[in-house]
Amino acid sequence: MNVAGGIRLLGSLRLRTFSEVSLRQKPHWETIGLLAVCQRSLPEQPHHLHSERVVSAQPPEKTALSRPVESLPSETFRGVVSILLSLYLLGLALTVAGNSGSGASLLVSTVKSRLFSPWMVPLWLDLGFDYRLTYGQLDDADHLLVVEPWDMAEGGKRLRFPAAGSSGIAAHRWRTLAAWLEPETVPEDVAGLLPTAVAESLFEELGSEDLRVRCLRVPMPERSAFAAAEPAESTFERAAVARVRRVGGSVQLLPVEEQRDVAPVVSPAADEGATP
Amino acid sequence: MKSLPTAEATPFSEQFGAGWNAFWFLPASGRPLAVIRMLTGILGLVLWSSYAADLQRWFGPGGMISADVIATWRNAYGVSLFDAATTAASLWALYGLGFAAFAALLVGLATPFAAVAAAVLWVSMLHRGPMLISPADDVLAILLWCLVIGRSGDHLSVDAWLRASRGSDPAGPSVRNRLALSLLGVHASVITLAAVLSQLKGDIWWDGTAAWWLLSGREQSPGSLMAAMAASDYLTNLLSHAVTLFEIVFATGVWVAGLRGGLVAAGLVAWPLIGWLSGDLAWGCGMATLGLAWLPASWFRSGAATTQRA
Repeated sequence: MNVAGGIRLLGSLRLRTFSEVSLRQKPHWETIGLLAVCQRSLPEQPHHLHSERVVSAQPPEKTALSRPVESLPSETFRGVVSILLSLYLLGLALTVAGNSGSGASLLVSTVKSRLFSPWMVPLWLDLGFDYRLTYGQLDDADHLLVVEPWDMAEGGKRLRFPAAGSSGIAAHRWRTLAAWLEPETVPEDVAGLLPTAVAESLFEELGSEDLRVRCLRVPMPERSAFAAAEPAESTFERAAVARVRRVGGSVQLLPVEEQRDVAPVVSPAADEGATP
Repeated sequence: MKSLPTAEATPFSEQFGAGWNAFWFLPASGRPLAVIRMLTGILGLVLWSSYAADLQRWFGPGGMISADVIATWRNAYGVSLFDAATTAASLWALYGLGFAAFAALLVGLATPFAAVAAAVLWVSMLHRGPMLISPADDVLAILLWCLVIGRSGDHLSVDAWLRASRGSDPAGPSVRNRLALSLLGVHASVITLAAVLSQLKGDIWWDGTAAWWLLSGREQSPGSLMAAMAASDYLTNLLSHAVTLFEIVFATGVWVAGLRGGLVAAGLVAWPLIGWLSGDLAWGCGMATLGLAWLPASWFRSGAATTQRA
């Protein structure tokens, strides 16, 4: 029954290779479509398909094969769509090559930015898919954001993003945001932008116009130094710190002296032995 | 100088043409796309709802990511509907619209409109806060644009139910479905390939310690797995190499018809596991959903037949 229904539809597709299909095999749309594709490239053959057994079929039913068929589109349509697909696939290749963490050649970046970015960026398709997962480097660790009044000795509220113990996608978004506060991860021209914006939005909530914005990083212990307990916040490494204050309505980002966490290069013993 | 005989070149060009037509234009059932639509709807709702708690703090009036910040930060071609939401009420209204679009996509209600609305609003959200995004967000954008192309509401949807209740014919195969499925499949392979190439630039993926570093810098990490890895070099190496090996085999193997079904089925487990290991479970689920585009249509037919019999 299904076979006969399919054959009637195939007749409208000028199928010439029917004899190659086994009637015992249950036909399906992919087979029908494939035959319709193939027949265009085959030489003319005698038309011998419409046997009585096949054509004299049963009344139509609403089965998969009697549904309204959408045959192969016209060559014009296929031509236009093929050109668009080729353009998109070229753009896809260029975005992968041009958004790599290893950088991009001048040629690739120029072609991509001039011809493809204007329409791929708005659609969020200008992506490199450079998902390294991890390189075991410090910036692969979880980051968090802590904002507090600059002089905490005078008391005050302290905000932490994400909140301690929180998990899930929202917390993941906060960690991603916090990682952007590391000066090394952003271009110089926007390096101070986020700390300033973060502080500016929290002046009222914290009741202070002089804030410390800290970006902390979860330590990454070696396997040999693994401890089963979750790392305490006191052990988090400071990745970046900024002081932001509002004076007379204008917001200022003040440079904060970097505190070195490393040991001095010159040892005391060497100092003692040194001659002036 | 004699010209090359054209008779030898013809079969290849025709073969390529037939292959191209079959890959991109062969009408395909909408059932696989319907399954992908539902999974995308769930993923979309999860990712969209992750903005809810901090929506005002991030994008609201006086929020951290103000219009000035985003104007400096964003690519010059980036645009967002959320730029127009300058009040708390308009921001919530637009956010609610996005939630409704994803819910409609999940159940397949007014699917063509829901798919367009969800894609546009999602991309707008990403452009509004590009410093908040993760790989899962990129994958969702790809899924949504492909659903805009295909007719994903023809099956397993409220639209299909309404159509059947009116006595209309069930929807048949469509070229649009084929285009959408093929694009999804190509992206599944390309994303995996790009990811694995990126990973292999790091030494830790070669020395087999990557699995440890995936977990070691996390604020909340699975302690028992880390303890097991700390105790066994081989387990750490095995997990690291398994990730790389799976990605390489997936990216290339889906192009081989005989391997497709097994790889996609394996991906349904492996991708979420990789996502969980890397701290982005949603990305893993998104990749598994993308991979479904490669599933042989016969799998969906047999599934549908089983459902009908039941």
